[in-house]
Amino acid sequence: MNEEQTWVAQAQQGDDEAFTKLVETYQTPVFNLCYRMLGEPELAEDAAQETFLRAYQHLHRYDQKRPFPTWLLSIAAHYCIDRLRRRKFSMFSMDVEDEDGNSFEIPDMDAPSPEGEAITGQTNERVQAMLKDLDATDRAAIIMRYWYDYSEKEIAESLNLTVSAVKSRLHRARKELAGLWVEQEDDLLAEMERRHHESPAF
Amino acid sequence: MNHQPFETWLLDDKVLTPTEKRELNSHLRDCRTCSALAETGLALRSARVASPAPGFALRFQHKLAAQKLAEQRRRLWGLIVLILSGVGLVGWALAPVLISIASSPVEWLISVTGLFLFVFTSLQAFGEIVTVVLRMLPDFLPPYMWMVILSGLAGMGLLWAVSIWRLARRPQGVPA
Repeated sequence: MNEEQTWVAQAQQGDDEAFTKLVETYQTPVFNLCYRMLGEPELAEDAAQETFLRAYQHLHRYDQKRPFPTWLLSIAAHYCIDRLRRRKFSMFSMDVEDEDGNSFEIPDMDAPSPEGEAITGQTNERVQAMLKDLDATDRAAIIMRYWYDYSEKEIAESLNLTVSAVKSRLHRARKELAGLWVEQEDDLLAEMERRHHESPAF
Repeated sequence: MNHQPFETWLLDDKVLTPTEKRELNSHLRDCRTCSALAETGLALRSARVASPAPGFALRFQHKLAAQKLAEQRRRLWGLIVLILSGVGLVGWALAPVLISIASSPVEWLISVTGLFLFVFTSLQAFGEIVTVVLRMLPDFLPPYMWMVILSGLAGMGLLWAVSIWRLARRPQGVPA
């Protein structure tokens, strides 16, 4: 039995300290999934907290044969899908301000240079902006596939879908994203052209 | 323009041979659709992981504690309401009896004794009827019917015991 399984077993016996260790271990993947699904850090924080509360309350239902993070992310994905279906969320760029005016930033993992960082930041912004146009379940499938390297089988288990449905959803979502990517580039080119013509030099 | 098999390769994240890579690169130079597909694939793979603000676990502990407290309060209030309702109902049911006892205790004692005598004689008569029926039944019912009846009773008993056990068992991981 590894450390994680020990914590899970202890938490199932009512040990809150053990559950806190699980929270500390999986807070980032759960928060990231919620953030990518909901698009706002405040909503992601709420959703991640709610995910852990639900996991705590339903820990007795957890099957030890299944990987714990998969079970946890499945709860988070279902919660976010429900929230997205209940109401429409306005999406913001990667750097937004919270109620206190503090800027939220995605932590810099491997910034090689300021230029590279700027490009990565732009790409992240574009990805986040495109994700919001996807269907909630397609979005969850894409996040699990590309942020967590989940196999189609794991995604199917997490989202209660068949493997063929996951494959078809992933294909559809990827094509949709590619279409949006082209649209964004067209808009960008049109904007640059407009600015070029509006320049005082002409 | 024919996008196959390049589109499928990109969508399935296929591991390509050097020849396939060359073919794909050549196609991507001319095809904007597949090029966008490849670019979005790269963008998705290079996207960062967002982390929560520091103190997430501590905030969770506070939230959990608050939820447990709210749950305890809810249960306490539920218990109080249940007890008060029970006391009220018992009081309402006993009120006429208490009034009659207070007004004429001797008459009440006689009626209670009569009631006890009635219940006792009724039970005795019922017992006698059951004894007679039990003595007569073996002649009417064949042995296999007895087996069926006893199996049914045993099954129902088991079902009852399992239901009680499942209801009484507190799930693990659920706050007490």
